[in-house]
Amino acid sequence: MCCSHSFEDKPLPGQKPEAFDISAVKGMKFFDPHVHMTSRTTDDYQAMADAGVVALIEPAFWLGQPRTGIDSFRDYYSSLIGWERFRSSQFGIKHYCTIGLNSREANNEALAEQVMEILPLFVYKDGVVGVGEIGFDDQTAAEDKYYRLQLNLAKEAGLPVQVHTPHRDKKHGTQRSMDIALEHGLDPYSVIIDHNNEETVKEVLDRGFWAAFTIYPFTKMGNQRMVEVVKQYGSERIMINSAADWGISDPLAVPKTAALMKLNGISAEDIELVTYRNAITAFAQSGQIDEADFGVNIDQSAKFEGNSILRGGQQPRVDKSSIIIS
Amino acid sequence: MFGYDKAALQQTIAAIIQNNITADAWAWLSRQGDIKSRAAFNAAFAMMPRKTGKAEISITPAQAQELDAIRKGFNIDGWTADRLCRVYLLLSADASDGERYLDVVENLFLAAEMNELVALYSALPVLAYPDFLVKRCAEGIRSNIGSVLEAIMYNNPYPAEYLPEAAWNQLIMKAIFTEKRLDLITGLNHRNNQELARILMDFARERGAAGRTVVPELWHLASPFTDAGIVNAVKQQYSTI
Repeated sequence: MCCSHSFEDKPLPGQKPEAFDISAVKGMKFFDPHVHMTSRTTDDYQAMADAGVVALIEPAFWLGQPRTGIDSFRDYYSSLIGWERFRSSQFGIKHYCTIGLNSREANNEALAEQVMEILPLFVYKDGVVGVGEIGFDDQTAAEDKYYRLQLNLAKEAGLPVQVHTPHRDKKHGTQRSMDIALEHGLDPYSVIIDHNNEETVKEVLDRGFWAAFTIYPFTKMGNQRMVEVVKQYGSERIMINSAADWGISDPLAVPKTAALMKLNGISAEDIELVTYRNAITAFAQSGQIDEADFGVNIDQSAKFEGNSILRGGQQPRVDKSSIIIS
Repeated sequence: MFGYDKAALQQTIAAIIQNNITADAWAWLSRQGDIKSRAAFNAAFAMMPRKTGKAEISITPAQAQELDAIRKGFNIDGWTADRLCRVYLLLSADASDGERYLDVVENLFLAAEMNELVALYSALPVLAYPDFLVKRCAEGIRSNIGSVLEAIMYNNPYPAEYLPEAAWNQLIMKAIFTEKRLDLITGLNHRNNQELARILMDFARERGAAGRTVVPELWHLASPFTDAGIVNAVKQQYSTI
């Protein structure tokens, strides 16, 4: 639930953009703490792996099409911890997720009640690193209610919270999200406030929360603006993500932004913090992240058939530039 | 209900587990398993790796033999601690109320993550009411998750003992399609059959037409039920095998 596209937001044709040179980030590792892989293709997985993304977090979100029954939610949560996790492993990318009821669908109260009943089944699962993405969209009473209930669940489960902040009335919605988290006794250090911009970041950091920035064309942060934010605020408790989903978005937003930061003279240490380390520090409070698992194919077949041509379930590479498909 | 000496198996597995996890984790695990409190049972199943870790277990040859003697073909070689402890938790569940027991088990399948599925399918040969788990096993073979398929296919005596022929043949074909090791499939030769040979030969012709290869084991399985001349004629399509 990261974008609400308005195609009026199309950028004006400006200066010719610089090409992304992947060699600029060669050897660097990235962690994308917000990306909806369910909505992406295997090409994206391959490109992310090639660009150095070693691990990611897929928050539970709104699929674009509202769900009408509890089983749709159950199957979606199951796919985040099952099928999608496997799909990711085939490209050598460690897949974690956060589980929650998104703010849009919190407005369907009859269904939301049923979702709240099954959430405890999923939040304790292995590899679930937080409750998310939850928070406000329209800032209705129903959204308020289920945000609060899920904050309690996170507290009880000892999990970090990944908070979606609204597109409309953003600044106020962000403040309100933080107020309520504190009211419910959460440690701001366990709460990641997502989709920040220049207007919200200062208060989020001042109040001790983590500030995540989504690099998303047209509707959220551009990465040139992100470079300026890091220049101004440094790297403490700041992380970036792509929030790539079913909209026009970019699953390489994290490595591309790292490259742009490098070109703009931001130190290697700061780049590592905002594109890798801080996200791990924040979400590892769940006890569910072990860096030793990164880059390891978790498909057990690796153990059984070490000499398999597919190296334990890894996907064979397809030459996309060839007209021949064999 | 079980078809083997369940108490003996529990005892042997308990000894193996105690050698492989901390005393605290064992103390916790030995208190779990009451399916009257379903939420607690589900939670214990889900949080297993947090308590037991995921290290590969070590087991003595004598213990491996003991397991095989109690439940023929049951082999836990290469299992991780969480996998074995999840199976142990399932063994701790009271199976006397069959309906409740099977419902609890099926519900675990419905909300399982990858490693949980591996443990659940690994448990098939030691669960109660094995006749009622045939559909579940066949469903598992439809999975495309490599580790889940291997939990069903490799060193697991359940499929060969319980699957009807059509489901067994699907298992073998799925193993070939997903490039699994056929030599680790329990009952591979014992369950070989005429219909499978026909499917395999058709498959070989199709692969030949596409200019692709087949695994050599295919000829081994097809040969007992296929005219040697036909096997040789199809083999001719393959220059590399």
